[in-house]
Amino acid sequence: MTLLEVVGVSVQFGGLLAVDDATLDVPEGCVTGLIGPNGAGKTTLFNVITGLQPPTRGQILLGGVDVTRKRPYRRARLGIARTFQRLEAFGSLTAHENVMVALEMRRRWAKSRYDCSKLADELLARVGIAQVSDTRVDALPTGSARLVELARALATDPKVLLLDEPSSGLDEQETDAMAVLLHELTADGLAVLLVEHDMPLVMEACTYISVLDFGRVIAQGTPVEIQADPSVQRAYLGTAKEAS
Amino acid sequence: MSQRWSNLLVWVGTIAFVVFVSVSAWAGNPINSTTLTNMLVLALPLAGIYAMAASGLVVVYTTTGIFNFAQGAIGMFFAYVDWELTVHHHLPQALVLPLVVLVAAPLFGVLLDRTIMRQLVGKPLVVQLMVTVGIMFALIGIANMIWNQNDAHSLPPLFAGRGFHIGQVLLTWHRFITILAAVALAIGLRILLFRTRIGIAMRAVVDNRDLAALGGARSARLSGFAWALGCSLAALAGILIAPETADMSITVLTFLIISAFSAAVVGRLRSLPLTYLGAFILALATQWVGSFLKFSDRWTNVPDALPTIMLFIVLLLLPRAQIQFARINAIRRMERVSSVRDTAIGMGVFLVFMILVAAFVLSSTDPTNTNRLALGMCTALLALSLVPLTGWAGQVSLAPLAFAGIGAVAYARLGGAHGSIWAVFLAALVTIPVGALLAFPALRLQGLYLALATLAFATMVEEVFYSQPFAVGPGERPVDAVHIFGVDFSNPKAFLVLITAVFGICAVGVIALRRSAFGRRLVAMRDSEAASVTVGVNIFETKLVVFSLSAAIAGFAGAFFAMNFGTLNSSQGFETIAGLPVVLALVIGGVGFVAGALFAGVFGFGTMWIQDNWHISLWTALFYLAPGLAVLGIIQNPSGAVVPIGEGFARLLPWRKDAKKEYEELMAANAEPEVGRLGLERAFTESDVLEIDRTLGISNDVPLPEPVAGA
Repeated sequence: MTLLEVVGVSVQFGGLLAVDDATLDVPEGCVTGLIGPNGAGKTTLFNVITGLQPPTRGQILLGGVDVTRKRPYRRARLGIARTFQRLEAFGSLTAHENVMVALEMRRRWAKSRYDCSKLADELLARVGIAQVSDTRVDALPTGSARLVELARALATDPKVLLLDEPSSGLDEQETDAMAVLLHELTADGLAVLLVEHDMPLVMEACTYISVLDFGRVIAQGTPVEIQADPSVQRAYLGTAKEAS
Repeated sequence: MSQRWSNLLVWVGTIAFVVFVSVSAWAGNPINSTTLTNMLVLALPLAGIYAMAASGLVVVYTTTGIFNFAQGAIGMFFAYVDWELTVHHHLPQALVLPLVVLVAAPLFGVLLDRTIMRQLVGKPLVVQLMVTVGIMFALIGIANMIWNQNDAHSLPPLFAGRGFHIGQVLLTWHRFITILAAVALAIGLRILLFRTRIGIAMRAVVDNRDLAALGGARSARLSGFAWALGCSLAALAGILIAPETADMSITVLTFLIISAFSAAVVGRLRSLPLTYLGAFILALATQWVGSFLKFSDRWTNVPDALPTIMLFIVLLLLPRAQIQFARINAIRRMERVSSVRDTAIGMGVFLVFMILVAAFVLSSTDPTNTNRLALGMCTALLALSLVPLTGWAGQVSLAPLAFAGIGAVAYARLGGAHGSIWAVFLAALVTIPVGALLAFPALRLQGLYLALATLAFATMVEEVFYSQPFAVGPGERPVDAVHIFGVDFSNPKAFLVLITAVFGICAVGVIALRRSAFGRRLVAMRDSEAASVTVGVNIFETKLVVFSLSAAIAGFAGAFFAMNFGTLNSSQGFETIAGLPVVLALVIGGVGFVAGALFAGVFGFGTMWIQDNWHISLWTALFYLAPGLAVLGIIQNPSGAVVPIGEGFARLLPWRKDAKKEYEELMAANAEPEVGRLGLERAFTESDVLEIDRTLGISNDVPLPEPVAGA
């Protein structure tokens, strides 16, 4: 079932149309890939979905409910979580505290009862960085800091998880672990929207893929269909005419 | 509320306010061509001066990212230099003016850039602001030292005040030249920014510093140029305004140019044409008030508050700031948060120490030093109010003393006259809604604009609030020290012990707060607003709570200030300008630390003690100079002086082996090269290469793999 719908979203920055009438569906229980060349508008689209960037036109629906006019923190409480391409970890807090902040917020808004500290340990272990739990995030290597962001996003108990280039800064082994983790998460029913440049990871992990180029969705389909799509090849490699 | 509606509200409110004030304060002068021409003739040169000063601010801010609080003081200083050469040494103004404006002031600017300003790139906003505030105080101090304020100084206007008539109104050549200079400057700056290489580079830096650097703009040279230009403009404004002031009062000159802040904000600190418009509106408003309105009694100071009222209105009209992403260049903050237990022990030991000092060191007959020490502790408590707000939540407030003033008034009015203990808590309670009110601009404004809004707020409180009959009004209001369970704390020593204990309790409370979920949320919000909203943090609610809390502590401190003063009158103790050194001292001590607040208190006591005990004429100067010099300390140690003091202290304790080890690790970490600037701003040296090799794990001893033949 479709959980998150992006309907006809456009974002205009002055004379630049960063996102142009983009429409895409993110179904639950699987990973949807969002790929495209640099500057295609992927991160801007993430900002629109999470509410950090108001769209010029279009709507965002979560479980059929229009959330376009909801504040970012409201959307987070409704179940949209994300990581950032450029790190946005809480640098002067430890990895453990980073996750704690999210858990403590959820405990307040969901009025649930749990031991935040213990749950934070579990989440850090789940993403594989239990050993740096008490290190300030500023002092961590980029890859680990990304995993802190992932643990923090999971701490909000999201329905939809937006991952913005999670594998950059990770080594091969960690990337493989990431793919396994993605499978586990979707098996639990989570909807994942993945922006990624690591094509093997995208092709391996995604059920569906949307391709964004100059702010427009130029192709949608399964990994096999996308790989065969001539317009995608054009977007990535240029046409023979342009190349000459 | 949407942007459009809130703007409409501000506009309607402003117009209603202007009409209301004009009608109620109408002086009865006729409006005719003579009075209007007169107003315009007065307004235009003033606008020119504001425009020059504001353009200097804008040029420096856009190119270097530093908002120069010292702009007015620089203008004042060079006006005095000009006085020294022309009046004292009888040199012709035609020689001196170009020399000061085109040579001395730019040199000063370059020096400032080289020695101080360049170190400030990427430092937290509050540090950048306080360094320029420190320079402002230092310049005021130096001017006091060189030019004894007991002597009369006056700078004659150009062409000895001669002029020509427009209708029946005299326009002096001096004022005419001021207008011409402003117009010429506008044209000159336009040509500079749009037609010359360096100007275009400056505009590129405004748009994107990092990108401009990649494109080959030498930001170091540009910042030197911007400071030279900024200081030159400040000097010109200072020299042209000086003859218009009665006796070249150092403070009047310094703060006249601070009025230029509101003009610069009209241009959003970027646009020079809009800055000129702002300068014109401000000058027109000033002259409108001066020519047609009359304020008396409780409203006497309203004209002085005019520039800040305008500043506040303009800030409210700014577009709502986007949610902030983390700053890439943010420096690594060293932040040790001590445990609640350690803080409690430390504060207990401090209290015992203070009791011993009160019992054995302080004189029983002469309470001067006891009162001073108590005032220092009040200051520490006030500085503590900024630790959660500015240190942890990253919201810069320059208005702590205004909250203390409101708290002091609340204490005096609500039972403090006979020392009721409830009045102390009422003082905190009353300030909470006022603090909460400031959270509204805090949601819309970021960083510098918020700091300016708090400054404007503090000035409005100072000029308008205290003189109201329901607050202090004319005359004095008696204040008695608090009685707790029948114990009277009006004895100076008893009061000192009380305020020390109160500080200790509040300090432990603040630390407990930092270690709670709310404290983590504050730091998270400061580190990345964007990330904190995506985990469900309601920024507005969080800011509302932290502003209210800070106001409550400041108001609480205000009650103790009132007890320390003994009486309140409408013009004592809580001036905006007196609040800046509190913030400055806290930043020197360390804005993120409870110990930093204590440092601010001790610093305050120290300056007061030296002031009265070193009977040398230089002293007034040193009173200002001390915070100015302390600026250099901030640059060395942006996290605060208490960090090395605390670490050094801990290393001496035999049971703190961990502290010693930590120190060694820290030194090793600090030895890292600043990789981001290597190669861009300075060349690689041998040691950099070694260091990088070491970091990457390629030691010199291990030979690099040979390239494969034929590859």
